[in-house]
Amino acid sequence: MVRPYRCVGCRTCEVACSFTHAAFGRPGRSRIRIHAAGENKFVQVTCLQCVNAACVAACPVNALVRNKETGAIEVDYRRCVGCALCAQACPFGHMFFDAAVRRPEKCDLCGGNPACAMFCPHGALLWR
Amino acid sequence: MSLRITVNQVELKVDEGQNLLEACLQNGFDIPHLCYHPTVESIGACRLCLVELEQRGRTEITTSCNTRVEEGMRVVTDSPQLRQQRAMNMELLLSRAPGSSRLRALAASLGLEATRFAPIPSDGIPNCILCELCVRVCASLGHNALCAVGRGEKKRVGLPLNQPAESCVGCSSCASVCPTGCIVVKDTAEERAIWGQKFKLLRCAQCGAVLLTEKQRQFALQKGSLKEDDDVLCGNCKQINTVKRFSNVVW
Repeated sequence: MVRPYRCVGCRTCEVACSFTHAAFGRPGRSRIRIHAAGENKFVQVTCLQCVNAACVAACPVNALVRNKETGAIEVDYRRCVGCALCAQACPFGHMFFDAAVRRPEKCDLCGGNPACAMFCPHGALLWR
Repeated sequence: MSLRITVNQVELKVDEGQNLLEACLQNGFDIPHLCYHPTVESIGACRLCLVELEQRGRTEITTSCNTRVEEGMRVVTDSPQLRQQRAMNMELLLSRAPGSSRLRALAASLGLEATRFAPIPSDGIPNCILCELCVRVCASLGHNALCAVGRGEKKRVGLPLNQPAESCVGCSSCASVCPTGCIVVKDTAEERAIWGQKFKLLRCAQCGAVLLTEKQRQFALQKGSLKEDDDVLCGNCKQINTVKRFSNVVW
């Protein structure tokens, strides 16, 4: 659950995400991002795990699969060939493409216990 | 439907129609492999995924990537004989691709430091082991821009009729799956050079980050995963636009 009215823009979630996903704490590689929506107003945006997801439809090798337990759409890196079509297909921009290693990155809900929600000090992100 | 197979004396339940290599890898049995990719058909080119297979009373050594699992299969993934054969195949691969660091790392894990054979001069791409994984992946994406050229010792991976393929979109998936990393992609500020062609790179309309080639976008338009009026934007800029559009709803 996302509660933007509680978010103070501290970006602890971004740091938690990037450490969890081996980006060594670089918020630029985080899969959840804080965007300013005006003065002292912030919105946290991350993958919505769409039911009819554009990324899944765009993938030519079926490398995007829904984890039945967590409901998250996950990238199967063994199947992925790095064609970058998913990143263009997502209308919200939640699929990031790492050009250096030619692999997409997206929120996988940390396998059922998202680090961003765990570390959010203000209750702006909750996982239930 | 699931089948029962025995791998290294451990009984496993695996799905019907799976190949043996995938079944072993999923259950945590490590088998070295180079030319296998789960999205494309296996052709058993690298000969490293050898296993001992006992079936209907006969034992044979075979490649696991293009063997389907069958009820009651008994498999051994590591034995002195297998190690010897894998090392021999690895030495032969190394003589084709002595410059590949990934291949040398795998060779070291098989207990090999160098090959006894002289490097084979290549008239195609240097360090290519002719596993055709790039060819198969390109075909699975629907481009069919690569193929094997020539026969026997003159065989190499290249372009159909030795001409830059029109169907190539410059996605560089071939380079990202190549097990030896021998396919060269050169990105400059405006262009990507691959397979003797140059492709115009498209940048994010807002921040200017390099995203994809113009032909890749045309291919996505054809496939319907992109629409004509969609702007070319990176993930971050798309998010900023979404937040702008919906900020008065959220706030």
